[in-house]
Parts: sequence; C-alpha cells; structure tokens
Amino acid sequence: MKTLDFPQLESIPAIQQGFESQGYICTREIATAVFLGFQLRKPILVEGPAGVGKTELAKTAAMLLTAPLIRMQCYEGLDEAKALYEWKYGKQLLYTQVLKEKLGDLLHGAKGLAESVERLHQFGDIFYSEDFLEPRPLLQALRQDQGAILLIDEVDKADYEFESLLLELLSDYQVSIPEIGTVKAKISPMVFLTSNNTRDLSDALKRRCLHLYIPYPSTELEERIVNSRVPEIDASLRHQLVAFVHSLRQLELRKTPAISETIDWARSLLLLHADHLDEELIRGTLNVLLKFQDDIEAAEAELHSLVG
Amino acid sequence: MQSKLVSFINVLRSHEVRISTAETLDALSVIDLLGYRDRDILRDGLSQALAKTPAEKLTFVRCFDQFFQFDTGAADSSRKPLSHTDEDAESSRGEPLETERPSLDLAGEMAADPSLRSQLETPLMQMLQADDRDGLALSIARAASRSGLSGIQMFTQKGQFTRKILDEMGEAMIRDAVLDLERRQSLALPELQGYRDRLRELVRDHVEREYLLQAHGRNRRFMDEVLSKAKLNNIEYHYQHQVYELVRKMARKLATRHSRRRRVYRRGQLHMGKTIRRGISQDGVISKLYWKSVKKDRPQVLAICDVSGSVAAYAKFLLMFLYGVQDVLPRVRSFAFSSHLGEVSGWFNQHPVEKAVELVNFHYGGSTDYGNSLLDFAKLALDDLHSRTTVIMLGDARNNHGDPRLEVMQSIYQRAGKVIWLNPEPRNLWGSGDSEMPRYQRCCHYAAQCNSLQQLERVVDQLLCYN
Repeated sequence: MKTLDFPQLESIPAIQQGFESQGYICTREIATAVFLGFQLRKPILVEGPAGVGKTELAKTAAMLLTAPLIRMQCYEGLDEAKALYEWKYGKQLLYTQVLKEKLGDLLHGAKGLAESVERLHQFGDIFYSEDFLEPRPLLQALRQDQGAILLIDEVDKADYEFESLLLELLSDYQVSIPEIGTVKAKISPMVFLTSNNTRDLSDALKRRCLHLYIPYPSTELEERIVNSRVPEIDASLRHQLVAFVHSLRQLELRKTPAISETIDWARSLLLLHADHLDEELIRGTLNVLLKFQDDIEAAEAELHSLVG
Repeated sequence: MQSKLVSFINVLRSHEVRISTAETLDALSVIDLLGYRDRDILRDGLSQALAKTPAEKLTFVRCFDQFFQFDTGAADSSRKPLSHTDEDAESSRGEPLETERPSLDLAGEMAADPSLRSQLETPLMQMLQADDRDGLALSIARAASRSGLSGIQMFTQKGQFTRKILDEMGEAMIRDAVLDLERRQSLALPELQGYRDRLRELVRDHVEREYLLQAHGRNRRFMDEVLSKAKLNNIEYHYQHQVYELVRKMARKLATRHSRRRRVYRRGQLHMGKTIRRGISQDGVISKLYWKSVKKDRPQVLAICDVSGSVAAYAKFLLMFLYGVQDVLPRVRSFAFSSHLGEVSGWFNQHPVEKAVELVNFHYGGSTDYGNSLLDFAKLALDDLHSRTTVIMLGDARNNHGDPRLEVMQSIYQRAGKVIWLNPEPRNLWGSGDSEMPRYQRCCHYAAQCNSLQQLERVVDQLLCYN
C-alpha cells in the first residue's frame, strides 16, 4: 500500500501556511497533529466543543490536497449496510432470473446430475462479487485511486457497536467482506474522526488514533480567524466583537458561542453596516450568537457590564 | 532515550493515564519524526499520541513538565560534561586533594590536621567545593538507584530515603568532620556546614521529585480505595472533589457494563434486502421474513433523594451520584425533597456538580415530610411510570411522626416496574423512633442499607442486572 506524497504536508510550518492559504488558521498543535497523522498514517480523532472547526479541518485538508473528501455523518442506528457496503439485491434477483433462462443452454448435453453440477461449478460465482457490491462511504474511501480524505463526522453519535466496525479500517485501512475477502486500500486515505464528546469513545478506537483536542481559541487567534473569514470587517470592530464573545464564554451558558457563531455574527454586523458595538446592536443580534432563550436572557442581564 | 520514554510512560500510567504498548510504539515514532529540537512541538506530538481525553491531557502536560524539567535542569543541558566528570572523579580518587577554591579556613584546617584531611579528601567533597552540579546530580542519581528510591510509596518514607542516599554517597565522613570541627570550635566549621546543608538540600529535592513522579499517582489510587469504602458521612469536605471523580468513574463503569445487557431486539421494520436475498435460493419465492433489529427503549430510572437535615451528610454524595449517573445514563430523572418535592434533572443538566448540589440543597433542604413529598411526586411523575420504570428512593424514612401516606407509595409500587429503597441507616435501626422504614419496605421490591460508595455501586449494579 502506498501513500501519496504531498509537499504541502512536509513540515509543520508548511502545513500552517498551506491551511492559512485556504482560509483556515491553525495553531501549531493542529498542524503537528496533521503532520503526525500524515507521516505515521494514523487517523486523527478530533475532539472539542461544537463549532471550533473540527469538521472544517478535514474539509480544508481536502481542499489543500485537492483530494476527494468522503464524508460520513454518524447517527444512532448507523450500521454497516449504510457505512460499509451493501449488496445490490435487485440486481442479484435479476441475475438469477437471467441465469435460470440460460441454464438450459449451459447444461445442454450434460449427462446426469453429477455432470451438470460439475459443469455449473466451472462458472465463476459472481452472485457475491464486486459487480453486485454497492460501496458505501467507508469502502468508497478505500477504493479511491488518488487517495482520499475520509471524514467520519460525530462518531460519538453512532452506537457503540459501530466503533468496532471502524477498528479494522482504522488500523489497517482494509475491510473484510465475508463473501469476497479483504478489500485493502489502494492508497491509504487520510482519516479524520470528530467527536463532540457526548459519550466516551472506546479505548480500542482511541488507541488507534492520534488524539487532537481543539479548545476555544485565544482572542488573538480568533481575531485572525475572523479576519481570514470576514476580511471586509473593520479592525476595531473585529477586536470589539471578539472580546465580547470571549466575555460571553465566561458566563455559564447552556450553549457557549463557538467560532462559527463568531463568524456568523461578524457577517451579520457587516450586513447591518455597524462600525462599533453598542448595547442596542448587541441586543438585536444576540440571537446569532446564542441559541437558547435562557442564554439570551442571561446574557442580556449582564449586557451592560459585558459591553463596558 | 527509549528507556527514558518508557519510564516517562510508567510515570504517566501511575497517574492514571491509560497507555497501551501500541501507543508506546506510536510515541517512539512520533519522537523519531519530530526530534528533540523543539520541546513544545514534541510535547504536543507526544500528548496527541499518548493522552486521549482532556483530563489525561492536563495530567500529561503536568507530568511532562515535571519529568523533563528535571532532565534539562540536571542532566540534559550537560550531557557532555557528564561523562567527563565521571572520568574526573575516577581519576582523582587516588590523587591528593588540591583545593583551588578560596576555602582558606577549611584548607588551612585540613593542612594542619592530616586525619581531617584524609576524612575530607573524597570525590564528593571535591564536587561540593567545586560546586559541580552535574557531578553531584549524577552521584545522587546513582546513590538513589542503589538505595531503591524508585520504589518509594508513602510520603513518610521520604526522610528514610534521604538518609539512605546520603549514606550511600558517603556523607557520614562530612558529618564526622563537622562534629570534629565543632568540638574544636574551628573557624572552618560554617564553611563545612554549608557544604553539608547544600548536599542535604540537593538530596531532599531529588527525593521529593521522585516521590511526586512515582508515588503520587499510586497513592491517589490507594486513597480512592479508602474513600470508596469509607462511610459517606465520615468523608471530609476536603475530599469531595476526589469523591466526585470516583463517583463518576463508578457511574460510567456501571453504564458501560449494563448498556449491552439492556439491549433487547424486537420485530420492527422488514429487512427487504435480506429477505429477498434469502428467497433467491427458493427461486425468488420469499418464504421467510427477516427483520431489521431495533433497539428497545432503555428502561427509565427515576431517582428520589431525601436532602433533609437528618441525612444531609449522605445527601450530598447521593446527589453527586445521581449527577454522575445522569451524565452517563440518558434516561434518568432526579427528584429531591424534604418537606416538598421537585424535579432537579434540569439543574443537573445545566450546572456543574457543586452548583447543582448547592441549588438542590437550597431549594429543597429543610425538615422531612415524606407524605407530602410522595404526593408531590405522584402529581409530577405518576403518569409516567410504567412497567419498565425503576424508582429509586434514597432516604432514611424518618418522617417526624407525620402521615407516611402509604397509599401513595402503594400506587407507585403498583405502577412502576421496580421500586428500590436505599437507606443509609443500618438495618437494625429501621423502625426505631420515627422511622417508617418497615411500612415503606412493604411497598418496595427491594430495600437495602447503603452508606458507602462501594455499597452504592453494588446495589445499583444488582439493580441493573434485574432489568
């Protein structure tokens, strides 16, 4: 099995630069993880609060490497028929119908049952073969000729059993299909798993991955992120709004605003042609940042001290 | 470096970071890739390969700093001179001592007294006089490994090990010389004492560091064991945080142990693919149906906790346990009461544990009225009870001689799949004074004494087994 060479991933500073050119500002820690994941051919398990750019990391990696991004969104009840492969049973049914019609021709001249069976055996068994295989995201990722970025999103949402399904894929980049055998990756894909930590993932899964924790960014970093995503916004307003979001994160809220919300807010402020933050403006746009009525009320009560 | 990494991993393991052999190998290849040049990058990389939860990451950073700080401070920065001094020490062992430092008093004293001179003419003394940190660190490390310091377990052993190491290093000579000079009231005494104190300090530091690295984690586990067996009302406030960690661990253990057993399959959606495919062997005639297996709802748990004054000491921990359980089991509803009752699940979901427990105590603390509280509970949740519901009561059943409202308890008993009463009081006190326990007990499927975390775990474990 080979890996592709990507000059973009040769060193940690190169990764940082490359990601930045795609509009993703990454810390040294993230770059280290990508570097190690690529060099060691290990999946990267990305954890952290919602909206800090976990999914975005994989997307940006795909853009940077111009590799296809294969995304698998996990949910409760996800099983191998939807994640790995399924048989095209409609086609299989047709095949048996066709086979039945052809059977007379094939067995023409055969004497006795034994000979017929023997002759039948000479034909390959294509009933369970690649032709009737419907690949799902995980198998698709293994079959890409040019390598791929595989994003297994919110793996904590899937059931516990699903994790076991992933183990073979994650450690050896292969899957075993009982009827066919083992399918190995042509070029091992780069795998990102994300988790919001709604439950603990199994040790077996964690052991196979590098573990990257992305926390909320520092003010400087967040300003840089806003700058790269919403470059039109005025520097002083940017500074103000990032500072405000940071002070919001200090409050005890049900859902703390994440980077994605900061960016959304910056965009909405831009649309409103705001040039500085004031209480009224914040009150009017708070619902962009906070998604629970309780939180909005809590923040409004503190608004005066937060702005001041 | 390999052995260094392995001992670092041992330290991490003793601090409850779970590291497998495969991860050790990963860490080695991480080091190969990243090199030692940038300490921060190395730390990031290793933490990604070794520590896999946020809590483990914190522990990792702490251990990394401690472990490798020692390294850079004492040995790393001076790797070259190390072997150097080693030879020096070897070669100078036989030669007469020439003190280059301006230690005139001591030197004069030594010149005058050959017996003192022979006492102090040791490599150790030389190193002290030359302030040779590397040499000292090396000989301390050697003496430490000879005296088995890595086996240190309790903080009470610190003094003992310090003494052992000093003896190994030959500090006895200096000690004797100090006594000698003292007797003679020599002017050189303070200087020699200074050397002795410096040496002792160095050794003490070394022992302290080693204790933190080796034994601290192990002691933590020991404490956990003690705490899980201690009676809840005896556990001091100080350990509360630790207990909460323990409770969480316990709750998670229970949840993982029972999440499988609770899975029941029933007939649900038809599995078309499988049904048709199986029919193919009968010429496409479907003769047997296959179903997609669907998970059955998990049983619901309703926990009611007495937070009145009489059980205040227990209540705090019981609430913590509820909080922990609610974190890991998805369908737990918690209620608290003393004179009246209310649902507290919302607080548990929204607030950190200390705040939630405080809120509950503030709103529902007071004197006990079981009858009234049961009525409240019936109003709130009686309609939600069904055969798969488990109701857990946590309380001492001391009702201040009020009306126990047994009929309400009776109706809960009839509706719920299981009613369990956990009482912190020992069984022989049930029924004494104002305790209504024997009467309530008749309306329970199971009643048990429960006043330590271990008992609590055992009871809940059994309880989930019955489901």
